[in-house]
Amino acid sequence: MIRAHGLTKRYGGKRPKTAVDDLTFEVRPGTVTGFLGPNGAGKSTTMRMLLGLDAPTAGRCTVGGRAYATHSAPLTEVGALLEARSIHPGRSAYHHLMALAHTHGIPRSRVRDVLDTTGLTDVAGRRVKGFSLGMGQRLGIAAALLGDPATLILDEPVNGLDPEGVLWIRNLLKAQAAEGRTVLVSSHLMSEMAVTADHLIIIGRGRLLADTTVERFVRDSGTGSVKVVSPAAARLADLLAGPTVTITSDAPGTLDIHGTDAEHIGRTAAAHAIPLFELTPQTASLEQAFMDLTHDSVEYVTSGAPLEGAAA
Amino acid sequence: MTTTDTTTGVAPSPYRVTPARVLRSEWHKLWTLRTTWITLLTASVLVLAIGITMGTTYDGDDADIDTVVFVLFGTQLSQICLAVLGILVTAGEYATGMIRASLTAVPRRVPVLWSKAAVFAGVVFVLCLVTNVVTFLVAQIWLGGTDKELALTDSGVFGALAGSAAALTLLSLIALGLGALLRSVPGGIGAFVGSVLILPEVLTTLPLDAVDTAVKYFPAQAASALGSVTHVDNAVSPGTGLLSLTLWAAAVLAAAALLLRRRDV
Repeated sequence: MIRAHGLTKRYGGKRPKTAVDDLTFEVRPGTVTGFLGPNGAGKSTTMRMLLGLDAPTAGRCTVGGRAYATHSAPLTEVGALLEARSIHPGRSAYHHLMALAHTHGIPRSRVRDVLDTTGLTDVAGRRVKGFSLGMGQRLGIAAALLGDPATLILDEPVNGLDPEGVLWIRNLLKAQAAEGRTVLVSSHLMSEMAVTADHLIIIGRGRLLADTTVERFVRDSGTGSVKVVSPAAARLADLLAGPTVTITSDAPGTLDIHGTDAEHIGRTAAAHAIPLFELTPQTASLEQAFMDLTHDSVEYVTSGAPLEGAAA
Repeated sequence: MTTTDTTTGVAPSPYRVTPARVLRSEWHKLWTLRTTWITLLTASVLVLAIGITMGTTYDGDDADIDTVVFVLFGTQLSQICLAVLGILVTAGEYATGMIRASLTAVPRRVPVLWSKAAVFAGVVFVLCLVTNVVTFLVAQIWLGGTDKELALTDSGVFGALAGSAAALTLLSLIALGLGALLRSVPGGIGAFVGSVLILPEVLTTLPLDAVDTAVKYFPAQAASALGSVTHVDNAVSPGTGLLSLTLWAAAVLAAAALLLRRRDV
């Protein structure tokens, strides 16, 4: 369980920049929670505050019921992968993990286990300097899994991974959540989160934009419409018109209908003997819904609203 | 709700962070980098090689120089190597990002700095002591029969060899602390060379007696009082030198610890 309450981070003295602005959310165990936002939205800063690396300007956050730094065995409480590399390139993968393991008295056998899980056993003795981006990510994930933690906090874990690696991460995260762990994973790619996450926390410019499930997010995003092509488009539009229905037309004979579903349109057309050439529900893609949401937040800020940091 | 282990079905683990374990981790970190081996070996070989050169080429010209200072002339160079290693131990972690992993594992932070300082000081002191003794004994092979013939058991000899090792260790600890304060390897090296090695030399050119007196207590000057059998001209006593040097190192490390607790990583 991760809790953030009024979490705020401001940088700089005279012209402060607000990276995270009064963020309140909860991440529950047993599901994969996607932490989404465009680049610069404050995802990494929030994660660093959860891990006690950055001190919040205001507000507080707890992991597993208490501030991260107060846990007696933090690596067993939270496993973290940070976006910026946190590995000395001159050390081998094995020794990197062993150095971290020593701080908690975690045995060598566990280090071997996580190397195995992440597919790094064969390169464990090699210095990290020669690792590809994907191998570096795997090593970061191995370090996160080291303490068999109750919570995983992963910042952009699929960065630099090949398709096989992406699939591996996806399955790993789902398996970890299924075991009852709390999984918070950040991304700027909605499409990736659509297939990985159950729950979504979306931020833009450091503010909470949505805290919802993937399903509800798509349903509520309101961009679902039905495309209709008919030679009697104008007549059909008159028949469908109602207070909750909006109809737009981009081209002659083509309608874009919001507020009703394909079934109702089809039955109405049949009842009035209107031929239909096309009847296509336009499911809003997650990516589109996400862009709409974050686009709005950007517009809100640049429209002159008195938001701190907007001048920057 | 208030206990930590009830939020998930994961069993409580036997693992926890202890000071001894952080020390063990820092020991492991130090020895698993190639730079450590190269720097320590270079520092040691420099002292030995220069010591042998001094011994084989001695022709009686430098009669007024203290014997231990004479054979350990190489410590002037090894000091730079050891200071650089000290800076790498702390600032190197910021340069590579390793510090984020270190402080995520030990979020109380300060034990990491103490452990780094303790492991590094222990290793440097032992290495310097062994190197000094070996260099002294080897150099004496050629110095026998000259006015620089001394035995390890002669009064003050072992004290000077150990004093030189202690001085090198404390100077390197100051470098380690500067690395932690500045979080930058070039910055740390610049600060060490500038403030410890160059600044006192500049200050002594000022025509003020008070400045001259104060400079005697500066790290490099206090260190010079330690590695000599005979009293060093224009320097404090070995005891005072050791005390000043220890206080300098303690002050730099305390400042580094204070900032480590406060600053974002």
